[in-house]
Amino acid sequence: MIRVLGVSGSPHRHGNTERLLDAFLEGAREAGADTKKVVLSTLTYAPCRGCNACHRTGVCVVDDDATPLLEEMAHVDVLAVASPIYSMGITSELKGLIDRAQYLWARRMVTNTLDYPPEHLDRHRGVFLSTAGSDWPNVFDGAYPVVQALFSGLGFRYAANVVVNGLDAHGGRIQAHPTALADARAAGRREVASLLPR
Amino acid sequence: MPITVLGFAGSPRRHGNSETLLDWVLAAMASEPDVEVEKVVVVDAGIGPCRGCNACERTGACVQQDGMTPLYDRILEADCVVLAAPIYCLGLPAQAKALIDRAQVYRSRRYVLGWPVIPEERRGKRIGLFLSTAGQAWDHVFDAAIPSVKCFFHVAGFRERDLRYLLVRSVDESGAIRRHPTASEEARALGHEVATTLRERIGA
Repeated sequence: MIRVLGVSGSPHRHGNTERLLDAFLEGAREAGADTKKVVLSTLTYAPCRGCNACHRTGVCVVDDDATPLLEEMAHVDVLAVASPIYSMGITSELKGLIDRAQYLWARRMVTNTLDYPPEHLDRHRGVFLSTAGSDWPNVFDGAYPVVQALFSGLGFRYAANVVVNGLDAHGGRIQAHPTALADARAAGRREVASLLPR
Repeated sequence: MPITVLGFAGSPRRHGNSETLLDWVLAAMASEPDVEVEKVVVVDAGIGPCRGCNACERTGACVQQDGMTPLYDRILEADCVVLAAPIYCLGLPAQAKALIDRAQVYRSRRYVLGWPVIPEERRGKRIGLFLSTAGQAWDHVFDAAIPSVKCFFHVAGFRERDLRYLLVRSVDESGAIRRHPTASEEARALGHEVATTLRERIGA
C-alpha cells in the first residue's frame, strides 16, 4: 500500500490551501493509497533555536511535536506539503517545521550518518501545494527553494508543484477556480500511480 | 526632532552573526548627531504568527494582542527600520517570518481599506535596511528570502529604491562574522551613510 501524508501549513482551517491538499489526498485515495493529513496549527512545536547542537550530535535538543512528525514524514512514499503564500513566502508555521529539520541536514552534511541513494529518491516523491491571492507569476518563487531544502533533508525527490495563484480574482475562494481542485485531484492520482508496478 | 532608527534582531540565536552585523550598523548610526537607535530582539518580543483570519481587512488592526501590538506604530514612526536575520533553509527563520507576516495589517490598510499607511510628507524620507548572513557561499543563497523582505518594507511604506542590503555569505558558526575581512567595515560605512542621507532628507 502506497502511503501518502499531507501536511498543511496554513493557520486558516479548511481554507483554500487545505482544500487543495484535501483534493490531492482524495485523488491519492482514488489511486489506492492510504492517506493521512496533519494540520500544523493543531500541533505544538517551537521553531529552531539555531543552537547547532545537531551539528555535533545529529539530534535535535528540542523535545516537542516537530521531530516525531518529521520522522513520520520521512517514512511515507508521497509527501504532500502545503502552505499558502504569505508575504511572498510560506507561512511561519511551515517554516518553523522546516527549520527544525536541520538535524537531518546535519546528519547528511556534518556527521555523515545519513545518505539517500538514487533508488531511495526514486521511491519517495515530494509534492508542494500552494495558493496565493496575487496573480504575480513569480509569487511562489520564494517558497520553492525552501521546500526543496525540506525534501532534500527528508530524502524525497521534489516531484511536482500544485500551485494556484490569482485567487483574489475568484473572490478568494478556490471552489470558484475553474480547474484548481480537479488538477490537485489528478496530481494525487498521478503521484500514487507513478509508484505502482506497471 | 532626532532621526529614529528601529532595528530588529531576527535570529533565534542571541549575539550571533546577523545580530552582530546589526549592532555594528546601529552603533555607527548612534555615533552620528541626533540619531536615536533602538533594538528589538524578535525572539524575546513575543510575536506570534499571523493567523490568516483577515480581520485586519475590515478593521485595519490585528486581533492578536501580543508583542507585535506596540510595534505596529513604532515601525511606521521610525525614520529607518533595520531587519537583521540569518538564512535558515534558504529562507528567513520562522520567527522573523512571523514579524513580516504580521505586517499584513499595513497591506490591509493601504490596499483594502485605502488608508494612508504613513503621512504623505514622510513618503520617500525613510530608509529600510536588510542585513543577513548565510552559512553557505552560494550566489543565490539570499534570493528566496528577499521577496518577503521587500514585501515587509513595501507594505510598511518604504520605497524599493530606499532599501539597502548588506548580505554576508560563508559565515556559519557564532562569531564567524568577526573574522570576515570586510563585513564590519561595510556595516559601519552603511550605518554612517544612511544616517547622513536621512539627515539630508529630513532636514534635521
